[in-house]
Amino acid sequence: MNTAELIAQSSVVFDAAGVAGLCLLAFAAIRLARREHSWGGNLMAIGAISLLIARLVIVVSNHFVTHEMLAAWGPNAISAQLALPAILLSFGLAGVVWGLWGHSKWLHDGR
Amino acid sequence: MHTGSPLLLASIESIRPVFLIVMGVSLLMLAWRLSQNASGWTARFILAGAILLAIGYSFIMPLYEAGKIEHYSPDAHFHGDPGVALAWHVVKVVAMNTGWFLFGWGVALHAGLFERVSARPVLLPSSSPR
Repeated sequence: MNTAELIAQSSVVFDAAGVAGLCLLAFAAIRLARREHSWGGNLMAIGAISLLIARLVIVVSNHFVTHEMLAAWGPNAISAQLALPAILLSFGLAGVVWGLWGHSKWLHDGR
Repeated sequence: MHTGSPLLLASIESIRPVFLIVMGVSLLMLAWRLSQNASGWTARFILAGAILLAIGYSFIMPLYEAGKIEHYSPDAHFHGDPGVALAWHVVKVVAMNTGWFLFGWGVALHAGLFERVSARPVLLPSSSPR
């Protein structure tokens, strides 16, 4: 087994690091919003939590939701399972970037 | 990707790679701006994370969205070389996850997440035996 296959098989370690990073980002953003009253912190927190929920939806649907379950739930469930992670990932990323812009603007404007 | 009609250019599958590129570049620029106010390891973590995320969102993800790279799965049948798909998958997993970890850690240091709110008196064992 070469290095690439080893990394691909142990991707759960990297996924855990990514989730930990998003949790840190969410907590840090909430702290910035509550303690320092930076309005960008709120947006960054919402973005990070959206990204976390999207990852959770992807992990749950990959490991626990089967084709039989989706067929039983109907076409709306299939559409939601496809669309929800994409929407959450897009809005989450936009939220983090917008929040970061707000926070850096707040810093440059002298708080 | 459908690019035959101007209306189709506005469809989500055409817009999404552009959106990802814009977000990745914006994240890098804003993180660089934020790192100017930070110092030491805080700035390094924020900038390193943002560079990895910018590579992931502005370069790797649009290539996946445009269908230039095949999605890797151990059981999948590939049109091209499975080794190439595996290599891109590894680059994506490492860049995106390490990027979020470093960026999150940097912003946590910037926000003072690991600093104690109130310094409690430290209890030390008595040096003089009774």
